Amino acid sequence: MGIALQLLFTGLGVGSIYALVALGFVLIYRATNVVNFAQGDFAMLGAFAMVVLCIDIGIPYGVGIAITIVAMAVIGALFNLGVYYPLRHRSFLPVIISTIGASILLENGVLAAYGPRPQSLPGMFETQGFSVGPVFFDSQYLLIVGVGILLFGLQYLFFEHTILGKKMQATSQDKEMASLLGIPVATMIMLTFVYSAVLGGIAGILVAPILFVSVSMGSSIALKAFAASIIGGFGDVRGAIVGGLALGVVETFGAAYISVPYKDAFAFLVLFFFLLVRPQGIFGEKISEKA
Amino acid sequence: MRIHSRGVRAALVAVLVAAGSMLASAADVLKIGVVAPQTGPGAESGRFQVQGAKLAADEINKAGGVLGRQLELVIEDDQTTNPGAVLAFSKLAGDKDIPAFIGSIRSTQVHAMAPDILKTGKPVMIGGTDPQLTHMGNSWLFRCRPNDTYSARVISDFGVNTLKLRKWAIVHSTDAFGTNGMKNLAEALKKQGIDPVLVQGYTNNSQDFTPVALAVKQSGADVMGTYMTFEPDQGIFAKQLRQLGVKTGWVGSPTTVTTTALKLAGPALYGSYAVVDFNRDSSPEAKAFAAKYEAAYKSAPDIFASWAYDAVHVLALAINNAKSLDPKAIREAILAVKGYKGAEGTYNFDQNGDGLHGYNIVKNDEGKIVFDKHIDFPD
Repeated sequence: MGIALQLLFTGLGVGSIYALVALGFVLIYRATNVVNFAQGDFAMLGAFAMVVLCIDIGIPYGVGIAITIVAMAVIGALFNLGVYYPLRHRSFLPVIISTIGASILLENGVLAAYGPRPQSLPGMFETQGFSVGPVFFDSQYLLIVGVGILLFGLQYLFFEHTILGKKMQATSQDKEMASLLGIPVATMIMLTFVYSAVLGGIAGILVAPILFVSVSMGSSIALKAFAASIIGGFGDVRGAIVGGLALGVVETFGAAYISVPYKDAFAFLVLFFFLLVRPQGIFGEKISEKA
Repeated sequence: MRIHSRGVRAALVAVLVAAGSMLASAADVLKIGVVAPQTGPGAESGRFQVQGAKLAADEINKAGGVLGRQLELVIEDDQTTNPGAVLAFSKLAGDKDIPAFIGSIRSTQVHAMAPDILKTGKPVMIGGTDPQLTHMGNSWLFRCRPNDTYSARVISDFGVNTLKLRKWAIVHSTDAFGTNGMKNLAEALKKQGIDPVLVQGYTNNSQDFTPVALAVKQSGADVMGTYMTFEPDQGIFAKQLRQLGVKTGWVGSPTTVTTTALKLAGPALYGSYAVVDFNRDSSPEAKAFAAKYEAAYKSAPDIFASWAYDAVHVLALAINNAKSLDPKAIREAILAVKGYKGAEGTYNFDQNGDGLHGYNIVKNDEGKIVFDKHIDFPD
């Protein structure tokens, strides 16, 4: 029982990481109808920014986080201008290729600038965590779950209860209609990219103490997050959360009770199952609203 | 001046071409191909590899070069992937001026390149420690590190006879390096009359090791032998293991004590032991290499640098002894290298192409690597 609880906690922790990155996927997908394959690299950039600011330069953790978040917002805006905007009238394929190119550029750019050595970033708390009975609660995982819940809550309030959020939703559902209603579509998409980059950056800051900071850290999370988005449904932010958490729990339990080497296989088996049986994901896409 | 006669022109061209080809063949550089990861998860180790190789090449060049020619390293990125390694090697193999190569430190990538190496028929110095590599009929692979039968024998010998621990768990990556390490360790333990209580594999770049750590905890093992390929994996595993309160003894493969692993895992690896082919306190040659490396690159060397350093030196020695760039002559000369004292140990090549036959045991003493003992096997 103790073991199952430990696995559940870890699974939810890992799942929250996937969910944070998946959320970025879903937001950009809803706004632009394309998948941003550089979403994982936003996390990598955020983590590296923290290492440079807090370890190499030595400024306080909190200030480092603030600067990193601002920097990620700028990167999101530049990403929109450089990677998406010039191709906005093309079909989804060139845009996807463009984001894959950006991903390769970002990874190798950081590699060239910073070198290949993986870095470690201390957690936000002094303590590594605490034990309750047989279960060890890693403080960083607790933080990830907490920040995740907070972000999901804020996001819900923002999209459902503010005018700006509703404008962004309208843009994602029907760009033409939105622009006819006087919503500045380009600005809304710009904001989506900015927000997704910030979200990715926060994910990076949060996972760095657990996964360490390396150039490839983003892409390995992004693959799972992508699967989580499909499982949950690309059209709905709830899908990213449920899909991410489900994936984390399934693969952790599968690894513990069936086979560790096949851990990744469990994640992708779930993905296959959903693609076959419910390709629109748990929550589906709001197709009817688009039609 | 205008040249009117067609004959004179042709003659001039011929002379120029001849001079050119003479320049090329008697060029004062001798190219050595190097396959090294410069991108991907092993990029860090690739930097050490290239720096170690360059340090050796510089020394050799200062001492007059090889057959009177200056060594030039031609480096190709293997992207830390098998297809990348194959591509990198075939690029280098296409250059007819390269008589020999420095290959990968990763067994799985050497396996991937092996068919092309056999086809190319030129010596490749390797660092991959899967014993199979020099025992599968490919006569062009020469190992500048002790192979895993030795690391496994040293791990089990040290754990059973020195630490006096008999309840073993084996944790290994499922790639070629980890799987073969696991097999060799299980075999070495069997010879000591021990059946491991747990053999647990995992795939590289796992983000979470809780299930592995829990399996070790449940097994009740008092000592753990590990073959882990990448440092971030090792770091995550070590941290989670200690968090779950597992106090098992640890005797690991060389990855356990790389600079990066120490930095990433921190206190989680304190008190662990590891077999390592390079340790600066193991011999005067190792000490001298470490000093030179630090002077050149302002950072401490590790195994990824030392094997490449030795590989270039052994290759240069062999080519000089062979007095020829003929692959067969170089091969014979490498196999004839006996008693060469390198940074990793004393090279006595056997007929399989294995240069080293023992390991150092080191301890992680609060983050400092302390030399414990060297265990060498005669066979």
